[in-house]
Amino acid sequence: MEQTNRAPTEPQAMISLRNLRVSYGEREILHGISFDVMRGETLVILGGSGSGKSTLLRTLVGLERTSSGEIWLKGKNIAAISSQEMDEIRKKIGMSFQGGALFGSMTVGENVALPLREHTKLEDSTIEIILRLKLDQVGLSGFEDYMPSQLSGGMKKRAAVARALAMDPEILFFDEPSAGLDPIIAAGVDQLILELKQAFHMTIIVVTHELASAFLIADRMVLIDKGNVVAIGSSEEMRSSTHPRVRQFLDRIAEPAVSEELDYLQMLTEEHRHPGR
Amino acid sequence: MQIAARHLDKTTIFDISGDIDLATSPQLRKALLRELRELKMPRVVLNLGAVRYIDSSGVASLVEGLKASRDVGSRFILFGLNKTIREVLQLSKLLKIFEIYENEEQSVAT
Amino acid sequence: MELTTQIGGSVTDGLAYLGALTRLGGRAAYFTFVAPFRGKPLRFESAISQAMQTGVGALPILSLITFFIGLILALQSAYELRKFGALNYVASAVAISMTRELGPLITAIVVIGRSGSAFAAEIGTMKVTEEIDALETMAIDPIHFLVTPKFIAMIVMLPCLTIWANSMGILGGALFGVAQADFTLVRYIQSSLDALFLRDITTGLIKSVMFGITITAVGCHEGLSTGAGAEQVGRSTTRAVVVSIFLVILVDLIFTALFFFVSER
Repeated sequence: MEQTNRAPTEPQAMISLRNLRVSYGEREILHGISFDVMRGETLVILGGSGSGKSTLLRTLVGLERTSSGEIWLKGKNIAAISSQEMDEIRKKIGMSFQGGALFGSMTVGENVALPLREHTKLEDSTIEIILRLKLDQVGLSGFEDYMPSQLSGGMKKRAAVARALAMDPEILFFDEPSAGLDPIIAAGVDQLILELKQAFHMTIIVVTHELASAFLIADRMVLIDKGNVVAIGSSEEMRSSTHPRVRQFLDRIAEPAVSEELDYLQMLTEEHRHPGR
Repeated sequence: MQIAARHLDKTTIFDISGDIDLATSPQLRKALLRELRELKMPRVVLNLGAVRYIDSSGVASLVEGLKASRDVGSRFILFGLNKTIREVLQLSKLLKIFEIYENEEQSVAT
Repeated sequence: MELTTQIGGSVTDGLAYLGALTRLGGRAAYFTFVAPFRGKPLRFESAISQAMQTGVGALPILSLITFFIGLILALQSAYELRKFGALNYVASAVAISMTRELGPLITAIVVIGRSGSAFAAEIGTMKVTEEIDALETMAIDPIHFLVTPKFIAMIVMLPCLTIWANSMGILGGALFGVAQADFTLVRYIQSSLDALFLRDITTGLIKSVMFGITITAVGCHEGLSTGAGAEQVGRSTTRAVVVSIFLVILVDLIFTALFFFVSER
């Protein structure tokens, strides 16, 4: 298990994870994750299916409970704060979900306006201007009266980003931004992330398994495998890494085939176990 | 955010300082709309020299002020914008829409 | 030995389920009665539109069903009563069975079919599409946003629907009364009203409020505990209907027994 050696009191760290463990019931998904996310950087969390990367993201935004360890975010350990304190932090973070997670019963504009209506005392006319500004930033000007079901996959993601931006968050989280999109539309979403990064100097955390997208947007990357941090570093460091698991992931080599005949025999005949996800 | 109004002949100058954010922008909005819609001042000037930060709600309030000034035929002028605020307005494509000057003399004179 | 373990397991599961429903109801009660005084206003508009869907939308089908039920009750009681030449008691038999029992129960069952299942489907779909998660990451409590308006709508609308159902049932009985038992419509309704005590109506209404709470809690709980995948929404919806019907009848039994022993004194 390779981990970073940064001190917990990194001055520029926006988020610090210290030995974070998360379990679903009996099964531990994350086995002690530690790293820092710097203010203003775009960090990409890479990993295959079942690596625990999505669980990690859900834990960072407070959707999963930690079984031990610390998550320092804006000076607070969110693994050990009250739900009221967590709500205050949540007003300063934005999350773009895989499928957009727009509310189907509301228009695009109402979706973007929702956090403002719920959490601020702004007048409707002010909120209306903000939501149009946000929709313009994601390239969806004029779509405020559309229902989410009338939007294409890429537009849904953009609208979800506009909603995530509504409260001017300091940290923006993306779950698989290019999932389910064709390559051209996906490139458009990557471009949007780059624009947001350059324009707002926001701290951005992206979970993905798309390598091209990751190398395009990342300042630094973390490779997660089987619930552990395998490697962390800049895009260049990852590209030139000689770590076998990193190479395997970056060069897209399949799991090594069972070589020994004995192993193969054992694999075919061993007692049935419940497959771990 | 602190907001102070000075009244010159047919001109109101607001000296604003601090952060214009979700908590404070309603106050700014109210002050602007009162001056423009109710008092119908021909010229409203915002001194943003001491403003450190402006968020989307602040930008939206400025847009509302600008809209109100157009409606009543007044002039709505900003000056003293620091780099951050210029950047924010630039990103919202508003830098060219507002009437912006370097200093108070220009804002009052032109 | 194994049987006792199994029974024990089921009892524990059942109690855990009731515990979850109670917590959900408790949170909704908090958002209704406490949170508005702490700066978290009630979502009235949402509650009203929910009440329209639950209440007004159910009127046509509920009217038809309870009218038929009233007619059936009249026929069934007349079958016995005519042996004693006591057909004029049909009105009171129908009125009492409707207001004390069948009005609230039939209303609850119609509402389970229309709204309890819809709650589970709506919330379950939102769970599957990560909309519930999205609410949480926006610091919006799903119980406050989604569940509480449904509780309010149901607690208000179920008694209203029940009163309507009672009247339609009595009208259904009146059809028989006028056609077969020498009643005039006015006299039938008059003798229905004479047969009823205020207590008959209020116990029915108290039950209907309890049914409303039960249906909402089950529907929303099933929705919120939907697993991943679209087929899970279907499962949740089915479970919401089956569990609601069972619990409504259980609640009915408990309250009927309670009223029986209380009124005895």
